[in-house]
Amino acid sequence: MTSLAPTLPDLATLPGPLARMRQDAPLFTALGLWMALSLVPTLAAMAIDDRSFQGASIWLKPIKFQLSLAIYLLTIAVFARWLPETLHRSRVFQAYCTVVAVAILAEIVWIGGAAALGTESHFNVSTPFWTIAYRLAGVAAVTLTSASLVYGLAIWRNPVTGLPGPLHLAVALGLLLTFALTVPTAGYLASNSGHLVGTPAPGDAGLALFGWSRSAGDLRIAHFFATHAMQALPLAGLAAVLLLPETRQRLAVWLAAMAYAGIVVATFAQALAGRPLL
Amino acid sequence: MLPDPLFPIANFLAMAGWLVLALSPLSPRWSDRVAGVAIPLILSVGYTALILAFWSRAPGGFDSLANVMALFTMPQIALAGWVHYLAFDLLIGAWIARTARAERVPHLLVLPCLALTFLFGPVGYLTFTLIRASRSLPAPLVTEPR
Repeated sequence: MTSLAPTLPDLATLPGPLARMRQDAPLFTALGLWMALSLVPTLAAMAIDDRSFQGASIWLKPIKFQLSLAIYLLTIAVFARWLPETLHRSRVFQAYCTVVAVAILAEIVWIGGAAALGTESHFNVSTPFWTIAYRLAGVAAVTLTSASLVYGLAIWRNPVTGLPGPLHLAVALGLLLTFALTVPTAGYLASNSGHLVGTPAPGDAGLALFGWSRSAGDLRIAHFFATHAMQALPLAGLAAVLLLPETRQRLAVWLAAMAYAGIVVATFAQALAGRPLL
Repeated sequence: MLPDPLFPIANFLAMAGWLVLALSPLSPRWSDRVAGVAIPLILSVGYTALILAFWSRAPGGFDSLANVMALFTMPQIALAGWVHYLAFDLLIGAWIARTARAERVPHLLVLPCLALTFLFGPVGYLTFTLIRASRSLPAPLVTEPR
């Protein structure tokens, strides 16, 4: 009654799906929501900042990472309900989740900080400070991606997810593919001196939002598809369960996984050959 | 590049917030949501955007008065400083209205505190604190010095 706190909306009474996510993965849900909400100030900064980098607003890159990390975190938080109960209670697993969250936070602070300072984040070896920051960011990137491996293995081996078999397979395969495909594609991208292979034509503004080059090879394309296996495969699994006869569903999921991996390999090879996707 | 149009927008928002606080007895709940949450948050987004976009290019710093004055020679940083005043003064204003209501301080006493906070931030905060203190100090302490 006589509270001195302002009347903020009660965040404990979030709508159903979010409440479930918060119950299963409180840290990743909170960080995912924070990541999405933090788009408000960076979008505002983009509106008033006149600085650009490689032809686009200097804020476009932090914004893409905020979006991408928010999607990653919230997807993981949805999948957390299919982890074994013993893992949820494990102290080691909780500590691991904290390490992943810190890595994600460090990644976005590094990318946003570099933008605010008007410098590069990835590929920046201009000073010892930025060189070390880039190396540490590589460690953080592998750490945060490892969550898809840990989740994928744990869900794979959990016999009581309550999911139909083919969908269970698709969720686990998607997570494992995200890890298995992201590490080599992103690793090669990071070991390169930039994301392009070849020289883009003058005036090539890239694909809308994504910024992928339309005249040179772009290594970010394979990274994008690799990282989104964890969303694509479950969707394919859902389609299989809804549309196909039961005897074909498992096979369809396996074929979808192979086709998806094929797309990643193809876009990677295309970029290496210096050719654009579109 | 010069965010001139942001200045009148920020001023308008702050004025609207203070008007809402002055009329807060009509609807304390909504006045607090508008002047204590929504408007300070909008101003904070604007402030954050200005800092993200222009801080790294600003001259000066925090370490000496001359450097602080140099900071404000950059229009975008001066605007950010102004929005900082607007946002935080309004937050304190909303806190005063909320606290006064909880402690049943008459609104007629609150109005001058709000006006002073609006014009000279800390003066209004100090005035309100003095009013609170003089109302809540145990009577013997005030009237019976040993």
